[in-house]
Amino acid sequence: MSYDPHREDYQRLGLRFARSLDGKDPAAATRAFASFSRRFSQNRDSLPQSDADRAFHLVAEAATLIDYELPFADDDHAEQLIDQGHHLLDEAIALDERCHDAIRMKQAAESHSFESYYDFLASNADSVRASCEEARAQTHDESPERALLEADIAMRPYYRWLATQAGKAVICGRNREAIRLGEKLLDLDPQDSSDVRFTCAIAYAKLEDEAGLERFAARTKPLMRAGTEDAWMQLARISLAHKRHDMDEASRLLGRLIGSYPHAALALTSQKELPDGVFARLAVAPLSEDELILAVSEGTVLLQEGRDDAGRGVLGTWVARHAGLGSSWEGRR
Amino acid sequence: MNLHEELMERLAHRRSAQLGGLSPAAYAELLLTVRESPSSYVDDPHDQAFMQLVDAVDRVLRSRDDDEFRDDESFMEERTQRMARFGRDCAQALAVAPDSIHARLLRILASDYEPDRQLDELLELDRSVDAELGPMTLPESGDAWTDVFLRGRLRIKAALSRTCLDSARYRMANDYGQALIADSPCDALGARHTCALSLARLEDEEGFEALDARFDRRGDSWQQLGRTILFYKLGRMPAARRALMGFANLCEGGPYALLRPVMVDTYLPDRPAAEPYSFAEVTLAVHEADPVVCDVPDFCAWAEQQANFGDQARIFAERNGFGW
Repeated sequence: MSYDPHREDYQRLGLRFARSLDGKDPAAATRAFASFSRRFSQNRDSLPQSDADRAFHLVAEAATLIDYELPFADDDHAEQLIDQGHHLLDEAIALDERCHDAIRMKQAAESHSFESYYDFLASNADSVRASCEEARAQTHDESPERALLEADIAMRPYYRWLATQAGKAVICGRNREAIRLGEKLLDLDPQDSSDVRFTCAIAYAKLEDEAGLERFAARTKPLMRAGTEDAWMQLARISLAHKRHDMDEASRLLGRLIGSYPHAALALTSQKELPDGVFARLAVAPLSEDELILAVSEGTVLLQEGRDDAGRGVLGTWVARHAGLGSSWEGRR
Repeated sequence: MNLHEELMERLAHRRSAQLGGLSPAAYAELLLTVRESPSSYVDDPHDQAFMQLVDAVDRVLRSRDDDEFRDDESFMEERTQRMARFGRDCAQALAVAPDSIHARLLRILASDYEPDRQLDELLELDRSVDAELGPMTLPESGDAWTDVFLRGRLRIKAALSRTCLDSARYRMANDYGQALIADSPCDALGARHTCALSLARLEDEEGFEALDARFDRRGDSWQQLGRTILFYKLGRMPAARRALMGFANLCEGGPYALLRPVMVDTYLPDRPAAEPYSFAEVTLAVHEADPVVCDVPDFCAWAEQQANFGDQARIFAERNGFGW
C-alpha cells in the first residue's frame, strides 16, 4: 500500500539502532531495543542516526503536511502548510544533498507545468539510480534480513522517482513511456511497493491495448490483494469495454467494481479529483473507499476523455449515470 | 462534397439505367440536360428526398455565414432555430422516402446528441441499412464512391468513425476509417484524417506511417498535426519539433489555428471541402483534433515556445485582423 514515510523513517532508525547493538550481550540488547519505540517517538535525537536519516525524517514530516494535511486545509492555513513543507525540504537537502525524495518533492512545487516536471524527472533519473545503487553498495549488515531491508530502503528513493515519472508520463499523454517505466520498475522491485502497476493499467487502457492489458494482468496477478482486482485495473477494463462499445460488458464490470469497494457508487458518481501525493501515492488501506477515490482521481485521464459539453468526459458521464443507478442496489446489501 | 453535383449524378444515373444504360458520350449529354432542369428528372422518391435535403443543407450553410458576427447568446438562439428547422426538413424528406439513408443520417447528425447517444443512433442506422440492403457490393471500379447510390452508406461509416473519435474510441474510429478506405480507396470522405488523428492518439507510429504511405505521403493538415502529436507523445522531441515546424510552414495560419481554436459547427453530412494546407483546412483539422490535443495538456504551450511558432501565430492574426 504505497509508501508510508513515517514507517520508513522508523525502519531506518530501527536498522541503525539494531546494528549498534550487534556484539552486545543478548539480554542487554533486548532491553535496549524495548526502549526504541519510546525513544523514537519522544527523544529521537538520542538515537544514533546519519544526516541522511535526519533528512529523511524531515521528508516524512513534509510529506505529512503536503500530502495528508494540505488537501483538507482552508486557504489561510494552506499557505502556512506549504511554507512549512518547503522549509522542511530545504533543510533536508541542506543535511543531505542526495536526498532525492526532498529534491523531487521540491521540484514538484517549483515546476510550472506537467511537462517541465516530467522533463526534470526524466533527465535526472539515471543519476538518481546511480546514487541509490551506490548507497545500496555501502550497506553492510551482519543479519541477512536486515541487509535486505537496508538495501531495499536504499533503493526506494529511485523507485519513487520512477513511479512518479510513470504517473506524470500518463498525465502528459505519454502512455507508452509510462508502461516502459512501469515495467522497468517492476523488474527492479517485483513486489511493486510503489504500486506502479496501477499506473500501467491506466496507460494500457489509454492505448486501447486489450492484449497488452491482459498480459499485464496475468503478470501482476500474484500481487492481487484478497483475490480482488484493484480499482485501477477494473477501471481500465471498464474503459476498454466502453471504448469498444461493449456496453453490456461495461455495465457488468462497473457492477463488479461497485461490489469490490465500500460506498463505491458515491465515489464513482462524484469523481473527485485530488492532487497527487508529492512524496508518493497516498498510503490508504487496500480495497478501501479511500483507495477507490484515489483510483477514480487518477482515472480522470480515462473518465474525462472525448468531446463532451458537460466537461465530464464521455466515460465519466456514463460512469456517473450508471453508478448512480446502482446506488440503491448497493444500499440494500 | 458537393451535394448539388451529386444530385445531378443520381438523376442522370437513374435515368440512364431506366433507358437500359447509355454510352459514356450519351451519359455526358444526359448529365448536361439534367443540370439545366434537375427537377424535371426527379421521378423517384429517394431523389425527391435527396433534392429536398440538398436545399435544406444549403439553407443551413448559408445562414451560418453570419455566425461570426453574432454574440454568443444570439448565436445559440439562431443555431437552435436553424437546427430545429433542419430537423423538420429531414422529417419532410423522410415522409417522402422513409428509407432515405441521407435523411436518416442527417436527422441523427442534426440532433446534437452527446457522443455516446450519437454513436448508438449511427450504429443502429448502419445495422438497419445493412439489413434492408444486404452487404455492400463494390462496383467494378473497386471503389464504392464511383457508385453514386452507395455514397450514403459510405457517409454512415465516415460519421461513425468521427463519432468514435469524439467519444474517445480511437481504435474503433481507426477501424471504421480503415474499413471505409478499403471500400473506397479514393477516400473522398477523408476517412484518413480521422485515422491519422486516432493513430496519433494511440501512439501507433507503425500504423500512422502505413497510413501515410498508403496515400503516397501526400500530406495534409491532419497528417502534419497528427505527426507532431505522435512524436510529442512518444517523447521524441527533436522529431516533434521538426514536425511542428512542418505544420507551421505548410499549413496556412497553422500556428494561429492551433493556439486559438474556433468552434466548427456540425458537419452536414460531410466535412466541408477545403484546399490542401489552407487556413480553412487547418481550422477543421484542429477542431477535429481537439479531444486528442486535450489529452496532451502541455502540447499547445510547448508548441508556442518553439522557435517563432508563437510569433507566427500572432503575426498571422494581425495580418488578418483576428484578435490575439
